[in-house]
Amino acid sequence: MPFPLGRPLGVADNPEFQRDVLRSALQLLETATEPTIADYPHEAPDGNGDGVWACSIELPTPEMSELESSVRTEVDLLMPRYQEARRTRGRTTFGMSGATVDQIDKVVSFAIAIAEGSGFEQVPAVASGPNWRHRMPMLVRFVAEDLRALYQEAVTSEAGSQPPSQRDIHTWIFQETALGRLLKQIGQQITDHDDPRLRLMRGFIIPEGFWEGDHAFGGVPAGMTTDEYVRSIRPYLIGENT
Amino acid sequence: MVRLSELHPEEAQHMLGRAALLKRSSFDFDATPWITPRPLPESRIALISTAALHRRDDPAFRFGDTGYRLIPDDIDPAELVQSHISVNFDRTHYQRDLNVVLPVDRMRELADAGEIGGVSPIHFSILGATESFLFEQTAAEIARRMHDLEVDTAMLVPV
Repeated sequence: MPFPLGRPLGVADNPEFQRDVLRSALQLLETATEPTIADYPHEAPDGNGDGVWACSIELPTPEMSELESSVRTEVDLLMPRYQEARRTRGRTTFGMSGATVDQIDKVVSFAIAIAEGSGFEQVPAVASGPNWRHRMPMLVRFVAEDLRALYQEAVTSEAGSQPPSQRDIHTWIFQETALGRLLKQIGQQITDHDDPRLRLMRGFIIPEGFWEGDHAFGGVPAGMTTDEYVRSIRPYLIGENT
Repeated sequence: MVRLSELHPEEAQHMLGRAALLKRSSFDFDATPWITPRPLPESRIALISTAALHRRDDPAFRFGDTGYRLIPDDIDPAELVQSHISVNFDRTHYQRDLNVVLPVDRMRELADAGEIGGVSPIHFSILGATESFLFEQTAAEIARRMHDLEVDTAMLVPV
């Protein structure tokens, strides 16, 4: 299936295309006589759309010196569109961290505290309340993802317009919004942290190509493969030991 | 599977590394793994998603988690969240339509049309970013559950 990662059925809200993808895979069961790899012959009908989309919600230019108020202003401006999308779709993907969307103030407080240097060992005191579903430090990644989910669901809800590609969304968030600056500031806290194992998590918060400097995941120690290194530091990242 | 040329070079390199690891792995089977499947109109099919989907009340997938979660076929999509750790996946379509990663509605339509024999009442979800050889025990457990559910065919939906 020649579709972007994250879209194995190709495209949203197109039942006919999705059924064709499934039929093509299932029919191999009736035709193959040995283990077989076959390419799906069609591109996703929405194309890629890179660079066509522009956010229709006007957000103020973010101020680095007032990062918290800039992020809260963005959230306030995006919230009506997010709620409309949630009603229309009957669902939201917000909640990976364990917080609910009515706890968005705590989610923002959490992210701001991390960006300002509260550390990666304990949940920031200002963020008590939500039933957080992950331990530190990896909880930071899911808090970041919930914020991105709110932004993305808000701006992909506009009927009749060309929906943004993932690259459009990344470019918008990381180059135009206060949230992008906040996530980069968290990335900088990770970079400055004493424990280099934390740097892998930076690559779960900032997509490749949007972190200035070395690549988003940081490096792998000499003499280890990526998988060996990742296996060795997983317990630390999910808070099982230090 | 996305074309490597459309990935960021670092991500493409990571994928190639995974492929090389698989190539070096050896898999031993007690019997010939190839079988002739039941005809589709007689086959009950279950989905296996690698998108780390789970019910909000289920334990979230943690980084490196090799377990699995059960997803009822009639689940309210609002009850599902995704704990996949990658930030490089396109979530914009999944946020609009669950069927992009877990095509439950499409499978039911194929069953209603008689193109497949039926749909399992339970589907399965794993966190696909973990090395495949670590999933041996989970794969065996899922296979046993599918046998109990009289599932004939597993449709892997890799995110």
